[in-house]
Amino acid sequence: MKRSPMLFSCALLGLAALAWPMREVQAQSPSSARLQIGVLTSLTGSMAAPGVFQMNGFRLAVEEVNASGGLTIAGRSYSLELKVYDTRANPSEGASAMQRLATVDKVPVVLGELSSGVAAAIAPIAQDYSLPLVLTVPTGPNLTEQNNPFLFRVNAHNNQLNQALADFVSRQGWAPISFIAWNNDAGRGGVTGMRQLLPAATKDGYVGYFNVGELDFSSHVSNVRNSRAQAVMLFMDEEPGSLAIRQIRDAGLKTQIVGTLAMGSDRFLKRLDAQRLDGMVQYNAFPPNADVPRIRNFSQRYKAKYGEEAHGFAAQSYDGLMVAVAAMRAAGTVNNGKAIRDALARIRHQGVIGDIQFDAKGQAHPSVYVTQWCADGTRRILYPDSVKAGCGAG
Amino acid sequence: MGEALLEQVINGLMMGSLYVLVALGMVLIYGVMHVVNFAHGVLFTLGGYVGVFCYQHLAPSYPLALLLSIASLAVLGLAIERLVFHPLDGNLRNQVIASLGLILFLENLIIAVWGATALQWKVASTEHLVSIGSLQFSAHHLGIIVITLALVAVLGVFLKYSRFGTAIRATSQSREAAIVVGIPVRRVQRSSFAIGCMLAGLGGGLVGPLFLVFPQMGDVPLVKGLAGILLGGMGSVPGAVVGGMLLGVTESVSTLFLPTDYRDSIAFMVMVLILLFRPQGLFGQRIRGED
Repeated sequence: MKRSPMLFSCALLGLAALAWPMREVQAQSPSSARLQIGVLTSLTGSMAAPGVFQMNGFRLAVEEVNASGGLTIAGRSYSLELKVYDTRANPSEGASAMQRLATVDKVPVVLGELSSGVAAAIAPIAQDYSLPLVLTVPTGPNLTEQNNPFLFRVNAHNNQLNQALADFVSRQGWAPISFIAWNNDAGRGGVTGMRQLLPAATKDGYVGYFNVGELDFSSHVSNVRNSRAQAVMLFMDEEPGSLAIRQIRDAGLKTQIVGTLAMGSDRFLKRLDAQRLDGMVQYNAFPPNADVPRIRNFSQRYKAKYGEEAHGFAAQSYDGLMVAVAAMRAAGTVNNGKAIRDALARIRHQGVIGDIQFDAKGQAHPSVYVTQWCADGTRRILYPDSVKAGCGAG
Repeated sequence: MGEALLEQVINGLMMGSLYVLVALGMVLIYGVMHVVNFAHGVLFTLGGYVGVFCYQHLAPSYPLALLLSIASLAVLGLAIERLVFHPLDGNLRNQVIASLGLILFLENLIIAVWGATALQWKVASTEHLVSIGSLQFSAHHLGIIVITLALVAVLGVFLKYSRFGTAIRATSQSREAAIVVGIPVRRVQRSSFAIGCMLAGLGGGLVGPLFLVFPQMGDVPLVKGLAGILLGGMGSVPGAVVGGMLLGVTESVSTLFLPTDYRDSIAFMVMVLILLFRPQGLFGQRIRGED
């Protein structure tokens, strides 16, 4: 039987016409109103892997808010959903997506971003459109130094992280200390900042920088050995970090290794092995196994949903969304960006990563930890003293 | 100091070996086809990806994965030669543009298939450590140098003493004369392209387990391999070997005296200095009429 394409098209159009009003009615129904929260992150590109953790945190928070009845404002209940754009860690793509969230999607608040470069590009747009922007991962210290009243950051920035690590390292008496770092603002800035915080005796060590994409650390390893450094600090992320540690240990260097928060997770352990990591210390924004109720509860819920150990980026992002929801609730609006901003500036939130309260620059001051790898592939907490705990707690 | 120097020389020889593998492949292709294949770096990358794929999904044997990677790159090389470079034969400009297009195509294909995140390729030879005095290297690290030197020797014998090697050398000297004396030039071109790609596949397969396998892993070997070719003399096989090794050792040893971030600058400064005094490179021959 020959079917007419015209008849088929008409039937499709008819179905679409029937479906259209239903969607409209659904959206207008007070009982099921939806509220989109803007999210900028890296779903693809060089930062796609940490982007997964950031999204996991946002998704878990949205699921829990909706499960508990959603966000109720002035008697109206909103079911949250995420409007996500992939910035691919590219500032121009981030700026374009931010513009779209402000003008087309008209979201009440934007969360996210991983890269400090992208965050720097999107922050002025947030200010232009009076749209609160809550950062949950970027660590560039300058981001919260731009007098942008619409910018808030939940996570600790590099100077805060460095301060905690320098405090810990200074007590160990390691001298001299060598550095291997990215040859970019983050790496050079990190080394300069850390050397300023450390005692003078540590400063005779070797300082080496490597370019993005460089994988051979053998020259650095040789120089670290020649400098007779008692410790070597690595300012880099997971991938080069795992290579640098492997090459340091394979070359037979017993030097103490000090890493960043990218190097204190089970995920990092899978890249190497417990033997090479044994004894290494690193700063950490969220020790997932700490015996602290807020951390333990979150870690359990996270593991139940995603089947893996909770990641610091996920915890920070979870808190970022919860802070935004609390601010909208306190402001009593989902439309007025200025009122939500004012509520964010005043907020005190008991989060997973600790008490969140923003200073005048929009920066929160969460706890920073120093953890150490144990021989069995678990971690212990060494700093701060108040939560010090043995292997398996970090 | 002596120990540090030895360590850097060995490190330099390892990195130089990778540059040599890229440089040799490009020189072979340039010799018979007179085209600089800028996509050689991404073929090197593909060697790493095919190797890790074979190792993880077909057979967990490193030598087998390496052979499969080399074989796959040979087939791909034949296809690229037939579909991309041969139709553009005689049009150097278009061949260069096509090789740049190939980079975009293959790199994005890799990302589409394997993703943008770096892959790990754990093999036993990277875990086995070898001591030289108080220095310690992974067996894989030293293996790369040994395999490259052995391959250079085999390739040298093949090019100098075998019938087909002679045909390759003849074609690279004069394509017209080679046709006149009955050398199957098309076959020589196809085979040279395939051998060049096999060397890229070997390079990617060797370096993958030592470091990581990621979409841009061929970028640095491509640039350094090209520099090695220029240093040794464009079109010269011994030149590519010496140039690549010299570049690797120079940049590595320079880090004993200068900050590590000057490593690339030092290597290229040495190249510029040599070319200032010997524009044809260390092993290249000055051709009458050329500046």
